[in-house]
Amino acid sequence: MAERCAVIGIGQTHHTRRRDDVSLAGLVREAAVRALEDAELGWKDIEAVVIGTAPDLFEGVMMPELYLAEALGAVGKPITRVHTAGSVGGSTAVVATQLVQSGVHERVLTVAFEKQSEGDTSWGLSGGRSGGVGAGGYFAPHIKAYIERSGAPEHVGWKVAVKDRQNALRNPYAHLKLDKIDIDSVKGSEMLWAPIRRLESCPTSDGACAMVLANEAGGRRAPRAPAWVHGKAIRSENGFFPGRDPVNPVAGQDCAADVYRQAGITDPRRELDMIECYVPFSWYEPMWMENLGIAEKNRGWELTDSGATAFEGDIPVNCSGGVLSTNPIGASGMLRFAEAALQVRGQAGERQVDGARRALGHAYGGAAQYFAMWVVGSERP
Amino acid sequence: MRDVAIVSFSQLRGDPEGGVPEVLMLVPVVLEAIEKSGVPRKQIGFTCSGSCDYLTGAPFAFVQNLAATGAWPPISESHLEMDGAWALQEAWVRLQHGDIDTALVFASGRPSNSDLREVLCLQLDPYYLMPLWPDYISLAALQAQALLARTGHTEKDLAEIVVRARRAALSNPNAEISGEFTASELLQAPYVSSPLRAHDCPPISDGAAAMVLVAGDRARDLCERPAWIRGIDHRIDAQYPGVRDLSVSPSARLAGEHAGVGRGPVEVAELAAAFSHEELILREALGLGDEVLVNPSGGALCSNPMVATGLIRIGEAFRQIHEQGRERVLAHASSGPCLQQNLVCVLEAD
Amino acid sequence: MAGSEPVSFMQQMVSLEYKLRASPVAVDFARRLCAGTITGHACPECGLVYTPPSGFCSICVVPTNTREHEVEIADRGTVTAFTIVNPIQYRGQKEREVYAVASILLDGASGTIGQQRLGDVDLDRVRMGMRVEAVWLPEEKRKDSAAMGAGLASAIHHWRPVDEPDTPLEEFAEHII
Repeated sequence: MAERCAVIGIGQTHHTRRRDDVSLAGLVREAAVRALEDAELGWKDIEAVVIGTAPDLFEGVMMPELYLAEALGAVGKPITRVHTAGSVGGSTAVVATQLVQSGVHERVLTVAFEKQSEGDTSWGLSGGRSGGVGAGGYFAPHIKAYIERSGAPEHVGWKVAVKDRQNALRNPYAHLKLDKIDIDSVKGSEMLWAPIRRLESCPTSDGACAMVLANEAGGRRAPRAPAWVHGKAIRSENGFFPGRDPVNPVAGQDCAADVYRQAGITDPRRELDMIECYVPFSWYEPMWMENLGIAEKNRGWELTDSGATAFEGDIPVNCSGGVLSTNPIGASGMLRFAEAALQVRGQAGERQVDGARRALGHAYGGAAQYFAMWVVGSERP
Repeated sequence: MRDVAIVSFSQLRGDPEGGVPEVLMLVPVVLEAIEKSGVPRKQIGFTCSGSCDYLTGAPFAFVQNLAATGAWPPISESHLEMDGAWALQEAWVRLQHGDIDTALVFASGRPSNSDLREVLCLQLDPYYLMPLWPDYISLAALQAQALLARTGHTEKDLAEIVVRARRAALSNPNAEISGEFTASELLQAPYVSSPLRAHDCPPISDGAAAMVLVAGDRARDLCERPAWIRGIDHRIDAQYPGVRDLSVSPSARLAGEHAGVGRGPVEVAELAAAFSHEELILREALGLGDEVLVNPSGGALCSNPMVATGLIRIGEAFRQIHEQGRERVLAHASSGPCLQQNLVCVLEAD
Repeated sequence: MAGSEPVSFMQQMVSLEYKLRASPVAVDFARRLCAGTITGHACPECGLVYTPPSGFCSICVVPTNTREHEVEIADRGTVTAFTIVNPIQYRGQKEREVYAVASILLDGASGTIGQQRLGDVDLDRVRMGMRVEAVWLPEEKRKDSAAMGAGLASAIHHWRPVDEPDTPLEEFAEHII
């Protein structure tokens, strides 16, 4: 690898159900301007832009980077558009990191967004046909299989739903602010796709996230402490074939093993100070803790149940409130990467984990078949 | 930069059988590119592809295409909602890391599923431009008009480009349109959108293509005459037709400069000029003189499987080095209305 | 922004027409389905049986074709995973009532068929391991849709429980989805 990569600027919008006050361009620009301000850089300092969003059908704009080029100061520069299903926010950051690590560019702006209010995601997911069950209906059987397999008690899902929403109260950018949520309200909420209840599901959000990435020299010059990339990886596997295990996909295990190896991590439970993990439905927290090697197989629910993943726990997960509190789909993965970086920079405000030095950002997509991850740290690797 | 070469290329022969899904268009193409490369499928270090949901007509359409790589056990893989030429650039960047030596790149498009005069409108600013439904041929005609007005080129000049392209395509089994025509014959046809006639516009083609990249000396071991990627760059212009001089392509000029086109003589250029006038704009932007042989394949005027067109230009450029004994060739890809985004790749023999 | 007028909105519905041609493999599958038989393709290399067939094995990347590799699959099998859906009301959604969908491992297939509608069953009694069989549409109703190369739902209305002992979890643990 020719170069190290540092995250020197992070910006995000205040995520909400509808951002009626801005256009698509206004939304992505808001996040990008904040990232540039954080890095104390201007548009002219950026050499290339890497942008990601979920399927174009969600907003009805085909290859939106063409229209967004001007708003992102990309005219006369390279702009690349990534699309890897739900993991796209994460893989977009990975593609941007590659541009720096390869030595091709010194400073890259990476942006991810979704403006769900300008389209109809359920319509988009169903291809416009009746009978669409959405992501919840798709993933519910996987969750059901996990519960059956692990013997997890049903309150574990409710607990995650409460924990992440309480975490969101400390995050000024989070969409859902459910200050009265408790186990009873989750348990009493409508069953949407058994075993997933309404309050165990992610919301529909408008939002964008942006990061400025720089090479080593840029990282050293940064006005605020950077987050250094210690490892980044992507993995994909076929979505449908006999014998595939979508509950604990091998692609996720391989991706985690790859980033840990790059970061020199042998015991992730101890060596990571926090995790920002893509949990769109509450049960994915224990499922991904197993997939990431934080908990043993079929015992992820015990980790969650013990409180270890709570804000005060020894391996806090989703201190930002996670996808359960904020879900601008295309940006959701990048928010995980950015929140992990904010933590190791010590810039996470009220949601800061004390002394966080190393954190994992995680995203997944498709039929739980696309994975993107990075490990970021406060120390230069 | 680390030396990276294209060692194999494969593309779908002619028109795919009616109804064959995109993934089945890709399977034989991907297999052939891998087989020709001599790299075992399971040893490929990185895979990157380009395709477009709106052309296929389904969200997450690319997910089905992943199966063409036999992604099990899991692979390191990425996808761009762009022409496959950009996927090649991503793979080239990834190979610069030095930890892997091989990459597979592929692209597929089925524009014939829909009416591009409607679908491509969705590429435009969704608030102010798209609601007017300006179709891509009319936008191209505005550009052609601007070019003719500035340079004094004539519609006959455009027809001559088509005559040359169709003649060249006679020797390309993958071309959809080919034949001997004269400019005066072509000029008898009515306008589609003046100054453009049907022959000035690209055909609607379906297609797929794949190639294998190998870094360092291993490329020489695997391939008789690999095509080394000596420069690759891409740039974008503003989208609004009214905010720039449509008769020039600053983004193509910049991409050409950054790819180092001027560092040596160019023998052949494969340009993704889907409309006849685009060739003139690109020749000017890239500084290609009359001595440069442009589009010996017939180019995008004779076959234009969108989002695979650019990767096929790079594949044709590879063929020029690998099979035709050329030393230095240029390939170009484009995206968006009026040549908005452009990629330039310079390939050289050893 | 302070002092500026509130933004007003208008809805723009975009309708695009796509002509999707039926895949030859899907047409063959539909033809047999129409006649009351579910078929699959067995991979000549790994032997896995895929239904509905896609025309190649996605693990070995080996093409399969109707004549050589076609095998018949039973119209009964085991529910390996399921959910009870409370349908989201988006534009074009016609479903209004709660219903069950399941992944079903058909006897003779290596992998499950997903998102299959269950019927004639108390929703509280749906469980993993439950044995089900196809309830076919009347033959005249199959023809319209099946000829288009549409999937199983074009000929099978739903799946209903059969009076057989449940399949133990360990027997399908590797074929849940």
